[in-house]
Amino acid sequence: MPGFTHLHTVSGFSLRYGASHPERLAERAAERGMDALALTDRDTLAGTVRFAKACAKAGVRPLFGAELAVEEYEPVRQERRRAPVRGGAFIDESTPRVTFLARDGARGWADLCRLVTTVHTAADTPLLTWAGNHGDGLTVLLGPDSDVGRALTAGRPDRAARLLVPWRERYGDALRLEAVWHGREGTGPGSLRLAARTVGFAAEQRVRPVLGNAVRYADPGQGPVADVLDAARRLVPVGAAKELDSGEAWLKDAPAMLAAAERIVEAAGFRRDTAHRLLEQTRATAAECLVDPADDLGIGTVHFPEPHLVGAGRRTAQRTLASRAAAGMLLKGYDRSAKGRLYWERMHQELDIIAHHGFASYFLTVAQVVDDVREMGVRVAARGSGAGSLVNHLLGIAHADPVEHGLLMERFLSKRRLVLPDIDIDVESARRLEVYRAIIGRFGTERVATVAMPETYRVRHAVRDVGAALSMDPADIDRIAKSFPHIRARDARAALEELPELRALAGEKDRYGRLWELVESLDALPRGVAMHPCGVLLSDASLLARTPVMPTSGEGFPMSQFDKDDVEDLGLLKLDVLGVRMQSAMAHAVAEVERATGERVDIDAIAPGDPATYQLIRSTETLGCFQIESPGQRDLVGRLQPASFHDLVVDISLFRPGPVAADMVRPFIEARHGRAPVRYPHPDLEEPLKGTYGVVVFHEQIIDIVDIMTGCGRGEADRVRRGLSDPESQGRIRFWFAQHAAARGYDAETIQRTWEIIEAFGSYGFCKAHAVAFAVPTYQSAWLKAHHPAAFYAGLLTHDPGMYPKRLLLADARRRGVPILPLDVNKSAVAHRIELVSDSGVWGLRLALSDVHGISEAEAARIADGQPYASLLDFWERARPSRPLAQRLAQVGALDAFGANRRDLQLHLTELHRGARGGGGGQLPLSGGRKTASAGLPDLSSAEKLSAELGVLSMDASRNLMDDHREFLAELGVASARRLREARHGETVLVAGAKAATQTPPIRSGKRVIFSTLDDGTGLVDLAFFDDSHDACAHTVFHSWLLLVRGTVQRRGPRSLSVVGTAAWNLAELVELRAEQGLDAVAARLAEPVPEAGEDSTGGRRIHLPTGYELHPWADLRPAGQEPSQVRKLWHQSPGSAG
Amino acid sequence: MTILCVRFQLPPAHEAALPGLLGLLEDFTPVVEALPPDRALADLRGAERYFGRDAVELASVIRVRALAHHGVDCMIGAGPGPMLARMALRDARPGVTRAVTEEEAADFLAEKPVAALPGVGTATARTLCEYGLDTLGRVAAAPLSTLQRLVGAKAGRELHEKASGVDRGRVVPNGISRSLATERPFSRDELNPDRHRRALLSAAGELGARLRALDKVCGALTLTVRYADRSSTTRTRTLKEPTAHSAALTRTAYEMYEALGLQRARVRAMSLRAETLGPAEQASHQLTFDPTDDKLRRIEEVADRARAKFGPHAVMPGTLAA
Repeated sequence: MPGFTHLHTVSGFSLRYGASHPERLAERAAERGMDALALTDRDTLAGTVRFAKACAKAGVRPLFGAELAVEEYEPVRQERRRAPVRGGAFIDESTPRVTFLARDGARGWADLCRLVTTVHTAADTPLLTWAGNHGDGLTVLLGPDSDVGRALTAGRPDRAARLLVPWRERYGDALRLEAVWHGREGTGPGSLRLAARTVGFAAEQRVRPVLGNAVRYADPGQGPVADVLDAARRLVPVGAAKELDSGEAWLKDAPAMLAAAERIVEAAGFRRDTAHRLLEQTRATAAECLVDPADDLGIGTVHFPEPHLVGAGRRTAQRTLASRAAAGMLLKGYDRSAKGRLYWERMHQELDIIAHHGFASYFLTVAQVVDDVREMGVRVAARGSGAGSLVNHLLGIAHADPVEHGLLMERFLSKRRLVLPDIDIDVESARRLEVYRAIIGRFGTERVATVAMPETYRVRHAVRDVGAALSMDPADIDRIAKSFPHIRARDARAALEELPELRALAGEKDRYGRLWELVESLDALPRGVAMHPCGVLLSDASLLARTPVMPTSGEGFPMSQFDKDDVEDLGLLKLDVLGVRMQSAMAHAVAEVERATGERVDIDAIAPGDPATYQLIRSTETLGCFQIESPGQRDLVGRLQPASFHDLVVDISLFRPGPVAADMVRPFIEARHGRAPVRYPHPDLEEPLKGTYGVVVFHEQIIDIVDIMTGCGRGEADRVRRGLSDPESQGRIRFWFAQHAAARGYDAETIQRTWEIIEAFGSYGFCKAHAVAFAVPTYQSAWLKAHHPAAFYAGLLTHDPGMYPKRLLLADARRRGVPILPLDVNKSAVAHRIELVSDSGVWGLRLALSDVHGISEAEAARIADGQPYASLLDFWERARPSRPLAQRLAQVGALDAFGANRRDLQLHLTELHRGARGGGGGQLPLSGGRKTASAGLPDLSSAEKLSAELGVLSMDASRNLMDDHREFLAELGVASARRLREARHGETVLVAGAKAATQTPPIRSGKRVIFSTLDDGTGLVDLAFFDDSHDACAHTVFHSWLLLVRGTVQRRGPRSLSVVGTAAWNLAELVELRAEQGLDAVAARLAEPVPEAGEDSTGGRRIHLPTGYELHPWADLRPAGQEPSQVRKLWHQSPGSAG
Repeated sequence: MTILCVRFQLPPAHEAALPGLLGLLEDFTPVVEALPPDRALADLRGAERYFGRDAVELASVIRVRALAHHGVDCMIGAGPGPMLARMALRDARPGVTRAVTEEEAADFLAEKPVAALPGVGTATARTLCEYGLDTLGRVAAAPLSTLQRLVGAKAGRELHEKASGVDRGRVVPNGISRSLATERPFSRDELNPDRHRRALLSAAGELGARLRALDKVCGALTLTVRYADRSSTTRTRTLKEPTAHSAALTRTAYEMYEALGLQRARVRAMSLRAETLGPAEQASHQLTFDPTDDKLRRIEEVADRARAKFGPHAVMPGTLAA
């Protein structure tokens, strides 16, 4: 029996509707003997590429389509319901839905893309209007949810016939009626009677019927998952609004569909063998839909913007590129330099390679974008392997001179590399959207679209949605969701078994019934779609015929429904425009210096090798500096002691998971400080390896080594390098390498030793071009920190680029002697500013209005524009702050200048608010001219002021919050971060502070180590917790903000120090106990037994990385607990919740 | 120091026992004010002289009698006025009567949180705490004009007096249980309007039956809907005429429910409370020419008798029986 073809199948890309991934559907179709399968997701084609690839793998022919919401031809007037006082209205899903299949090759696909794009131009929900409802290359299935189907459900064949007319007019012969039987009762969708009516109606109207199964999931038994998805979509508990899923909407095989067909035709009053004709019609419809993934979707072909748009005029793109590169050569003066010949040769080589691939338009396009961005006055820099191309440098795309830094074109593009080259450009994050608008303006919406990024279910969201569907207590749901680290949903039960910080939750896991099973079944299903933060598609004018586009929710940018991998497969040119906060921060800092002092700083032209900058870097006080601020990097910088730009490049390259895991760091440091000799496997290799003391750090070095040893050319060498990460091809390469190196006359021992190096480090090295591109802002930011600290912090606080909470940056500023000036409505601007502190002549940092919780941009601008204010009344009338905002400003002392204490000010504000509302106009009691009179209310206590600052600004602006606990910490004998610098290796100490960042990165040993950083006002303490302490500490470390930790000091160098934790307590709880019940209560709390360290609960399970190293299954995740930057409360939080 | 405030330690949802316990207090003084669900104020000014004991001693007697007669323990606070007695009750334990004299009142109150003061609700307490007036001592120290600016002229003055320990209140004898309430919880998040209405029908029927059994009528009905996130909505309606007629109560409950227009709200419980109870014989009743109303009332009467004879579930509306 030939297989059945399902024409109506949705995958998980139908948000909160489909329950199976497209890959799973394709696999199951192949297993069940189907030759073809259609994917018809709701209002989207986002799953198309993944589906096409999965089908190719499974050997099934893919059909492409979409199930679209269609405007009703004769809209039924609906009575308006009263707006609910609570809980919101029901989600309206009454729009009829019709399935469209692309039939006619590329034309069909273009029609489908156009239809989907049209659907998303509707005002609020996706809707296909009748004006856009046409297409010659489409087949249309009118199923039970279409308007015709609904009329049949209602028992109105006359109305159905009337509604069929417009469909028939538009689609004629390509119209089908779809019968679906899900074994339901009655006459609704999925009922036998409706299916029979559909078949009968089709015969009567002479429209061909087809059989479908409206598939929502691949396997039987997934009905409950569909129920949960329905509930999550409609925002109601399971079973509240409509009947439950029938459990029949799976990918049924041919015999099951034949049985269904027989039941339907019999019920319609035909002979049983008519069923074969129904199936035959279905098969014929499927056979007509011929869209080839390669030819018609355009997978594997490349489309660049037309040359005339990128400045080529009437010349070819290649000619234009060549002349622009030559112009760049003259402009930058390389032709006059000593190595001029070298530059010319390299340029011509690169141009040859570009011509070979026909990528000239691509380079011109990127150059055009970069030129436009620069013209807007936005800082822009290229990153990625593109920086290795001299042509890029000459066109002004990349800053660093690749010849000088020894960067290779071949790492980026060679005759042997077939994939699309990839140039990423960094722009200021704050102006990223402006840049997007400029690109769209330059090339037009028909050529530009941003890229989608599906948001998929991970454990926390899955718990929330399933919990709400099962009507669990919202407080329970919240608690459970927050206790999980950010892991995949399918690992929920395994994590409960194995993670020490989830032990308490694991104890109650049986209370929640089916929750865990359903949570795991939602794994990785898309639950929403967002704009990818950096990808922009650039194409020729045919873009809209090849990709469906929808507007993004906020800014209304056109966004392709395909994600970044799909886009690559489709051969659409993607330019990554990354918003880098550090670029914004530096731009702000430079602008501040100019505003306040009149001095113009050009940080792109600062002198290299500035001693103060390197001294700062070597002191490891690099908080806020690009790329070198993390605890691990501070440790590495301390050991490496960089002294030149090249050292920074090496430092950045070494601090990658690969090199850290492969322990390339230790030999490098030993050799650098002369503790170990520098060795080369062969004198010929000294040239590439000299700069890194014989240790392989960069990809470029591997390429050079392979090239030198085998003479195969760098293009081939790069291909070989790529092959190294795959164990299979590694064996072949080894043989090939030995053979060719021997042929070049190298002895066996040299070959052996070289191969060992290549094998060990080959696949982890870092692309030097990347590292050079990173090191530039690293040096620039460190320079700013060394020379203009106040402006630097102003930039950092305004654009918040780093991994640390703002309050930590503030603490750092305080430590480095930058005065912190409080918020003041008469002095603060929208952004952070620098201000000369008059008596000392030091530049101070004035806090910004934009950091006030809940302030809108308009309000901040209004307050800043109206300065100065003479009195509270003046401020209230001209700045017109909202009442909560004014109260918050009063709380943090921004209104202190108007006299009276902060509480009195609050009272005055309330009355002004009341007066304004009453229309009477408030008459303020004034005393002594403009000062506000006291109302006799008690002022905020010092602790209350600090608490208000944390609550309103998320920063302890007036002093460090740990200062309040000095006495208690002294009682406990806690070592401060400053004192810790003198501590001996192996000493046991107590440390305390506010948690700044917590990570569980991948570690060479394959263990899970929790790294955390504490700030205690005198400095930072880096902590590490190894797995023997996790049972005792993990929960506390993840879920508390203030920590007290007992640990052992570890020293690895003069500047490298960390504390290995053995016990941890929630300091906030202890402080409370001390204040309320005295030291004995604290002692009792400390005496409480801690859980014994158990066996490795994962049972030794490890993830084996392709590089041969092992990863702990729960490492490298965002851990549970609240982000420290989000903490707004000062004190104790209930121990059960994570925030 | 002649006013007692007594809290009976009743098991939850046993407010029906309160009238009997009030009778116990009325053995000592006629001036007893019930504070449902479990407290009562008693003015012992006359009793002290009559029994020849002071209020604290009488408190012990009351406790012994409550335990002996009803098996219910109680806590007692004593003070010169109702407010101080109630505040004193907060510090009392079974067996230890907390007495506050007029002289020590101000000191006693100083450390108490404002929310503890009778008459200070959550809204007022929040306002006061916002301005740092979180204890009664601070409230007393704040200028009167400031307090009046904060909470209004009259409330400000009263607050200031109370916080300073000036207690001008009196014990006002009242009838017991000025309201009757019943609740219908759901075992899961319930969105179905039919189930909601069924719960209301059953609750209104119960209230009507209880009212008629007490020979009372109610003047107003309050509907409280509780949601899964522990929030709630409350609506009150005054009835056209005081009644204990189940059909009228049900109609009013339905009207209030419809006005909420709930759609996706996850309802966890619905409760109805009959308020401003009065004696049935004083209630007026508008006669109509429509015989239906009359029939309904007669059926209700019959049904009540049947229930009295065969138990509460003998007769009920068809929708509830299904």
